[in-house]
Amino acid sequence: MPVTTIDARGLACPQPVIMAKKAIEENEQITVLVDNDMAVENIRRLAVKMACGFSVTEKEGGIREIALVRTGATSQTPVDSEAIAAEMSCAVAGKEPGPLVVVLSDNHMGRGDDVLGDILIRSFVHTLIQLKPLPDTVICYNSGVKLAVKDSAVLDDLQQLAKDGVDILVCGTCVNYFEIGDQVAAGHISNMYDIAETMAGAGRLLRP
Amino acid sequence: MEEQRYVVFMFPSVSYALKAEKILKAAGIGHKLIPVPRHISSDCGVCLRTTEDKQQDVEVELLGRVEWNKVVLL
Repeated sequence: MPVTTIDARGLACPQPVIMAKKAIEENEQITVLVDNDMAVENIRRLAVKMACGFSVTEKEGGIREIALVRTGATSQTPVDSEAIAAEMSCAVAGKEPGPLVVVLSDNHMGRGDDVLGDILIRSFVHTLIQLKPLPDTVICYNSGVKLAVKDSAVLDDLQQLAKDGVDILVCGTCVNYFEIGDQVAAGHISNMYDIAETMAGAGRLLRP
Repeated sequence: MEEQRYVVFMFPSVSYALKAEKILKAAGIGHKLIPVPRHISSDCGVCLRTTEDKQQDVEVELLGRVEWNKVVLL
């Protein structure tokens, strides 16, 4: 009997692994054709999970031919594509989420009451140092630059962030406007080019 | 180097914490207003953190002026 062949070339994750799972449940042995490493890896994991034999052969044009063989103890769980998608890493290679950028545009957090807003921003910045993963960049502009000067209540937190590798950009125009350029004690003075570029390139932008 | 040990003063409300902060600032005692650590409370509250060696100084300053609930070693 010819081996059932599943052609999953050109299909997006998790389609190849779902097709492979369905086919191996109906056949003792299958061959799956895929064209990317992600699919190979997902099917390899499927094989482990379903106790199947697994082998992969490189073919021309980046095609990989995967052989799956049932070894007897294969479970017959129904195909739940959503569960598989969640379980398998469907992150497209090279498409990592962009940098996490925190924007401190004010030395208060929220509107309504400045005394409260002062407490909140201090709590927020202090909490940032425990955030996992840490932000990639913190940008301070407008009155947010006052958080990065000598007598700021969160100066130690910002310095800790900088020590931990977080890039802290402090708006030069803003410190100039407030005449506190000589008091900046965390991060480095930056300009609107860097600020705009960093914000535009952010995967996520957090603004308290 | 030995790691710095901290204590936090917990207050009945945010306004108590603020008042305590003003007193400590005037007295020149180093402190920091921080969110109440998660393992102590899940409330969104603030507390005053100071180094362990300053605990007594803080208590002396606050006594009779601002009420606090408890002091927790971090």
